[in-house]
Amino acid sequence: MASELEEEDFKGQQINLALWRKLAKFVFPFKRKVAGLVLLAVTLSVCDVALPFITGKVIDAIRTPDGALARWAIAYVATCALLSVCVFLFILAAGAISIGVCADVRTAAFDKLQELPFSYFDRRAVGWLMARLTSDCSSLSRVAAWGTLDIVWGVTTISLMAGVMFWLNWRLALIVCLVAPLLFFTTWFFKRRLLKANRRIKKTNSQLTAAFNEALQGVRTTKSLVREHQNAREFADQTAAMYRHSMQSAIYSAVFMPMVTSICALGIALALWAGGLDVINQTISLGLLVTFLQYAANLQGPAQELANTLTMVQSAQASAERIQGLLDEPLVIEDSPQVKSRIAAAINLRSGDVAIDGYPERIETIEFRNVSFEYKEGQPVLHNFSLIVQAGETIALVGATGGGKSTIVSLVCRFYEPTSGQILINGVDYRERSLRWLHGNLGMVLQQPHLFSGPIRENIRYGKLDATDAEVEAAARLTNAHSFIEKFQDGYLAGVGEGGNQLSTGQKQLIALARAVLADPQIFVMDEATSSVDTQTERDIQTAVETVLEGRISFVIAHRLSTIRNADQIIVIDGGRIVEQGDHRSLIAARGRYFELYSNQFIHDREEALLRAEA
Amino acid sequence: MRSQTRLLLELTRGHRWRYVLATAVLFAATLCLYGQPLFVGIAIDSILGDKVSSLSSKLIEFAGGRAWLRAHLWPVSAAIVFATALGGIFTFGKMRIGASTAETIARQLRDRLYNHLQRLPTAWHDRAQTGDLVQRCSTDVETVRLFYADQVLEVLRASILLLTAIPILFWLDSRMALVAIAVLPVVVAFAIVFFARVRTTFKALDEADGAMTTTIQENLTGIRVVRAFARQDFERSKFQLKNAQRLEKDWNVLKVLAAYWSMSDFMCLGQMALILLVGAGRVQSGAMTVGALVTFLMCSGLYIWPVRHMGRVIAELGKASVAIGRIDEILQTAVEQPPPTPALLPDACDGAVEFENVTFAHRESNVLEGITFTVAPGTTLALLGPSGAGKSTIAHLLMRFYDPQKGAIRIDGVDIATIDQAAVRARIAVVMQEPFLFSRSIKENIRFARPTAGESEIVETASMAAVHESISAFEKQYDTVIGERGITLSGGQRQRVAIARALLHEAPILILDDALSAVDTETEAQILEGLRARRGKRTTILIAHRLSTLMHADQILVIEHGRIVQRGDHQSLVTTEGLYRRLWQIQTALEDDLRDCRSDKRSALQSAR
Repeated sequence: MASELEEEDFKGQQINLALWRKLAKFVFPFKRKVAGLVLLAVTLSVCDVALPFITGKVIDAIRTPDGALARWAIAYVATCALLSVCVFLFILAAGAISIGVCADVRTAAFDKLQELPFSYFDRRAVGWLMARLTSDCSSLSRVAAWGTLDIVWGVTTISLMAGVMFWLNWRLALIVCLVAPLLFFTTWFFKRRLLKANRRIKKTNSQLTAAFNEALQGVRTTKSLVREHQNAREFADQTAAMYRHSMQSAIYSAVFMPMVTSICALGIALALWAGGLDVINQTISLGLLVTFLQYAANLQGPAQELANTLTMVQSAQASAERIQGLLDEPLVIEDSPQVKSRIAAAINLRSGDVAIDGYPERIETIEFRNVSFEYKEGQPVLHNFSLIVQAGETIALVGATGGGKSTIVSLVCRFYEPTSGQILINGVDYRERSLRWLHGNLGMVLQQPHLFSGPIRENIRYGKLDATDAEVEAAARLTNAHSFIEKFQDGYLAGVGEGGNQLSTGQKQLIALARAVLADPQIFVMDEATSSVDTQTERDIQTAVETVLEGRISFVIAHRLSTIRNADQIIVIDGGRIVEQGDHRSLIAARGRYFELYSNQFIHDREEALLRAEA
Repeated sequence: MRSQTRLLLELTRGHRWRYVLATAVLFAATLCLYGQPLFVGIAIDSILGDKVSSLSSKLIEFAGGRAWLRAHLWPVSAAIVFATALGGIFTFGKMRIGASTAETIARQLRDRLYNHLQRLPTAWHDRAQTGDLVQRCSTDVETVRLFYADQVLEVLRASILLLTAIPILFWLDSRMALVAIAVLPVVVAFAIVFFARVRTTFKALDEADGAMTTTIQENLTGIRVVRAFARQDFERSKFQLKNAQRLEKDWNVLKVLAAYWSMSDFMCLGQMALILLVGAGRVQSGAMTVGALVTFLMCSGLYIWPVRHMGRVIAELGKASVAIGRIDEILQTAVEQPPPTPALLPDACDGAVEFENVTFAHRESNVLEGITFTVAPGTTLALLGPSGAGKSTIAHLLMRFYDPQKGAIRIDGVDIATIDQAAVRARIAVVMQEPFLFSRSIKENIRFARPTAGESEIVETASMAAVHESISAFEKQYDTVIGERGITLSGGQRQRVAIARALLHEAPILILDDALSAVDTETEAQILEGLRARRGKRTTILIAHRLSTLMHADQILVIEHGRIVQRGDHQSLVTTEGLYRRLWQIQTALEDDLRDCRSDKRSALQSAR
């Protein structure tokens, strides 16, 4: 994880054209706006070049009292107005492209994330993915729109300016234009360094934020260890580093800005020297000299913009690479072509008994046949696991954490696929079944159930999107969630908060159970919560679980004695293997690992219950 | 508002001379900057043309006379380059001084906040929201930094540019000077009024952005639920709605920005046009020279854009004031105060603990009432009771995280209310309910308890805490970094590392507050065995739910609803009716349960179904 978070570092000295060409497809839908933008950029350049020219004409017209002055004055004001209109329009055009591309890239990335396998998410923190969908998308789209504008404007302005100057007086033009490359390279030189320095600042800044976070979360520990002084000293080291990095960046700017002004002054001085002599010798007019002086002063605009854009493209390239990487990521777990064609063929067979992939809808058996699995190569978590489950059976998975219980559950759900061996549904390898069909038949309740912010009703309805309010309520009643929901002032409309944080874990479990009941799945998967809830909720959950398990194939990572005892098969897993298997009585009689686990759990549960009753 | 300004001023204490220096340097830079338009104007009027003023004639004489200059002209160009370069050096100086001032202020503010937060009382931290505080310490500090680094200097720059230009321009042509700055107040006022009125548009974008981010985040954290219910399409449409809403708000912001930039561009260009056209008229009527007109044009090019920028900066000043207000709220909160004349604990402290009739209320409800007990040095006290009964609070009071309302707590006979908080805590090693480890290596985390400890001692305590094996299994062993930047430890591993840390601490008092809850029974027994071996060396306070954890304690207190309801050792408590005895009887219940299960399979089968 760490290495992936650190790849924010500056890289990509070379501009990767192939990459940008790939991403160009996102700009394609906006081709008319882009054309408009190019047109506006050119118009803007024309105005920018025209103003100094008109200024020169106005000055020359002062001596000719034939109304030329008025004409040029009108031209000047008209150009100013046109320029302002251009500014208005190009901000809208470039902005529309920028935000449009941004939204489209984000949608593509989001859609992709909806299909990527869990192994992809295991390797990446949510925060990392969020950054791809937010900051990377916007930096990419900014380059697409504003980069285009700046490049077109910069190139046209410089060429037009040069063109007009050469047309007016090629000798003076040559002298003034000498300065342009100097401006460009100076800007480029400093901007790249500034970019690097600013990256460092950003990184140090996030370290400072992390330090504040740690100080707040660990404040009791700090106090108990009397570490305030050392912490402060270490933090001061970090703020000192921040100071150094910031100063470095500030010094680059402090050198850069005066250098640009000085280079421009050099251009002006050269123009004045050469042009002034021409005016004295009366080979050019005074107005023309003023025009040249202004061009020399204005050269820094386009030269800086061009260099700026180049660094911007470079810095956005890292974003582009990451997004393209996300879009190119193979799906790994998806319907095979055969399955897809079977789904297409089965479209007319639609009936209650036939699933969308043409196989029977009802699940009679699930079989693990010599299944092995490893998350990382060479680190197997499940070896040669075999198990047959019949319709209606409840399988309790028990054993120490890290033994492979969750892996079995994830494999059933086809969140992962076995590294070797097979999982068969009704005797058919589940890789020959539709993924959507399987997932549509799953019900799932996790230890820390995830709810979406919004009202309780919508959260339950997540199990069946077209469920009526009555159906939602019925599901809630069935799982005992109704009684506590009723107590809320807004009842089913009460919001659950972000991730459900307005509710207790027990309440979240009940809602998740209701959600699962509403979905009416054939396969039910549950990771029972271990955290303590009050006695009434505990009892409610217990009966709710019994209701949900009824008549379904269930896999339960079980912690509740009632669930374990009632299970049709108890599988004791340790180190990725089945160490014991059977029902409660036979396993107790065996006096093995299960006996031990059960005894500990029994004492633990009773102690908890007793202490809760006293509270 | 007043206190915010006060803090903003207070932060500059010790740096004000730097601002004075920066202003002086800036002034020099500005003067040099105006050299360019002046020289160009003089060159046009007096060298290219023949209009001579008092200033220009002196300068021309100094540079070698008009005739010579007309032939060569380069000294004028050299003067321009020289003036600009000199101005550049001053500008560099101003930017450097400005940056170092702002960065120093920001650095001091960060250090101060960090220190302050660490020293705020625990009761304050109980109510605080970490996310909000972190925001204040990062985003708000950054806003304040920008205030000092950019805003102050930008306003200063624009003001000085204007203040320097006005006398020069008035000296050249007073009427024209009025024309040359006529539109500027409108430009500044426009920016201020405009951004005040469109604030809601920006806010709406922020909100839409937040809503979209939340939707994405929820989708990604709940991706298992999404897949399990095959709700990808539903999620897509949910996201698309937020994405579209954000796009719409973004578009509104764009419209606003387009309007601002085009209008303010038009005003600034209008200012230039006004100078050019009015100037041209004045030149035509002979009231002004061409050179002066060019000077006016070039000068206005130097100050118009910074002045326009100043308008935006002023419009944004409100942000700094809000940010500093939020920071001030933290800094105004009183930190933990040590007693004015702290009593001293002997260095060789025995660790005798005594609670005498202690009553403590927290958030308007009594948590503890009339708690009295003594723990002899080197013995073990166990606290048993339902959660919320007040067991942890006893530990927190002993550490002076809170102070009791009534009664006294003594260590070695000294009332801890009279001892410096740090001195109390230094005599206590603790493992808290949800132990916190720092985002460092495991070795550093353990060593925090005693920085002078050697490697072998760390390994020894880790072995005693039954975590040495787990640590050795990591690739980098004791150098493994944990937390955000490293690996995540399981709850049990975290607890055991914290136990190792506490064991390394050579404090006379050890508190284990439910410190073994995530550790399995066997490991727990092993750790407790190790602790018993060190019995007599330090006073131990054990808080636990499991009977097996605390049955060997010298003294057991049963706590319910903030009172001690029973006390004694295992033998005496087992024989008296009460919570302890009921817990003890579970063992018998288990044996019954197991017997039932074997003897009567049929009835068990029925009850299970």
